[in-house]
Amino acid sequence: MVALARKTLVYEWRRFLPAMLAVGFAGLLQLLQIALVLGIFGSSSLYITGSSADVWVGYPGTQSVSLGRTIDADVESRLLMDPAVQRVEPYLWIDGDWRGPRETGGVSVFVSGIDPAADGLMFSRILSPALRRRLAEPDAIVIDRSAQDQLGVDIGQTATINGQQVRVVGISRGLRALGGVNVLCSLDTARRLDNDPTDTGPTYLVAKLRDPAQARAVALRLRGDTAFGPYTAWSASDFANLSVRYWLFDTGAGAGVLFLAGIVFLVGAAITSQTLIAAVNGSVREYATLNALGVGVGALRKVVLEQAFWVGALGLLGASALGVVLMLLARSQDVPVVLTVPAAVACIVLVMGLAAVSGLAAMRSLRRADPATLLR
Amino acid sequence: MPPVPAIEPVRTPALKAENVSKAFVSGHQRTQVLDHFSLSIDAGELTLISGPSGCGKSTLLAILSGLQKVDAGRVWALGSELGQLDLRALERFRLQHTGFVFQGFNLFPALSAFEQVELPLNHMGLSRDEARRRTQQSLEEVGLAHRMRLRPSELSGGEKQRVAIARALAKQPELLFADEPTSALDAANGQIIIDILHRIAHTHGTTVLCVSHDPRLVVHADRVLAMEDGRILSDRRNHTAVIDSKENPA
Repeated sequence: MVALARKTLVYEWRRFLPAMLAVGFAGLLQLLQIALVLGIFGSSSLYITGSSADVWVGYPGTQSVSLGRTIDADVESRLLMDPAVQRVEPYLWIDGDWRGPRETGGVSVFVSGIDPAADGLMFSRILSPALRRRLAEPDAIVIDRSAQDQLGVDIGQTATINGQQVRVVGISRGLRALGGVNVLCSLDTARRLDNDPTDTGPTYLVAKLRDPAQARAVALRLRGDTAFGPYTAWSASDFANLSVRYWLFDTGAGAGVLFLAGIVFLVGAAITSQTLIAAVNGSVREYATLNALGVGVGALRKVVLEQAFWVGALGLLGASALGVVLMLLARSQDVPVVLTVPAAVACIVLVMGLAAVSGLAAMRSLRRADPATLLR
Repeated sequence: MPPVPAIEPVRTPALKAENVSKAFVSGHQRTQVLDHFSLSIDAGELTLISGPSGCGKSTLLAILSGLQKVDAGRVWALGSELGQLDLRALERFRLQHTGFVFQGFNLFPALSAFEQVELPLNHMGLSRDEARRRTQQSLEEVGLAHRMRLRPSELSGGEKQRVAIARALAKQPELLFADEPTSALDAANGQIIIDILHRIAHTHGTTVLCVSHDPRLVVHADRVLAMEDGRILSDRRNHTAVIDSKENPA
């Protein structure tokens, strides 16, 4: 079979270049947008994704991990009664007012009180064992590298949170928060920093299961009991999704992503289809001749669609290469970018869909390939 | 030379038009190109339709080849009534039975001469080897065996038209339609094309219907139809051409 579509694409690459660039940049724009949004709003769930707990227990109706309310500490014994639960750990979330050594004004901080034991569940994926050990010291806190300027402190310096003195013992990475600054400390330090007398129990109880795959079933099972006051349970992944979704839709960012995806699709499709239409028009006499010789319109359409496919695939390849470079650059600058498999698939679908729509539009101009017009 | 035997069986014409009418409308202007026009073309001959531009000869070619529908009347090609065939069936008919050569060569810039010829064969359901064998053979027949790896941009006008003829010829069609095949070419190249068309009719038994105002073609045609204003003015048989074919049987 003579590969008409591919040979034309290679031989007349200049003609197809604008389409490939349009597809590529549409893909790149979409990719980076999704990665940024996922990165930024993903940080709303880093407390969950950065920890190795399988089940989270908190106040009923909690919409995001940052919006917790205290629950009864006795719920812990209820959790430990479940045979699937291996260990339980309290997690304290306190909103704090930071006063640093330098002129920073008041900075609102999210204090996370965690178990600093070596096998602690909270932030086990983010904190190094050395930093975790140092948190056990009284008044010790760990902050994120990106928040250093904001808080105006360095390792060894002291500051106050809610009027209580704290000391920076370590700088970590990957703790960038959404709408504030994360501060990590031990449960003991956190209790001391909490100046709300009504807070008695932990904000959350996090549990490690013997079989992590059971998380959703165990969470459902734990929900039924009310003997220990109001509480509910989520599997870690469900709670993480809940938190991200809350931010995506509460802030309108989700609608923004979809809106921009639509615009990117339209602009990309407009440019790509125009280019493909011009390419078809450029060969319309040759297509008409093939049709005169009996090559069906269906076969000719396939050639146009195949060209659209290759334009899409090559554009995607360029976008991926450039996307990886830009994402690495963003990571090196602590810009939160995250690309998940569903997001990458969404980008691929968008780009190939764009190419397909353009191909279909270009196919319409094949109607001009009427062999009767070749006879003058 | 012996006369044509009287007992020769009555051959069905390869192409036949009966009471065909065709008009074009542009704006409020309606132009009747063909009006109750009838014609039959015999198989295995090179028939030339000549006449001034606008006389309806290209329209006639389009109608006889099934590229255009008639307003009234009936057209048969190889015994099939073209008016009865839908678009798909017409495409299939053209794929199996017809070749075309146009004034413009209409070759894909990206393909080599070999690929230009092979491309339509791919759609005929031939095996790869058979398609390549036929491609090779027809390019040899038009004298381009040594140029078949070249793209159109590397070929002269005459060579391009020979590729276009090879493309039509490789399908081994019973009907070959040529529209002004020589008008874009100089004398020498025009002559080569005429010779090739003539040979195709006489060695392959192909019915070649050629539309042209090129006077050089007249002496090579078996039959010359002069057309004007949608009517046949004269219908001449060229005996030298017929005799020539008897001397050089297929």
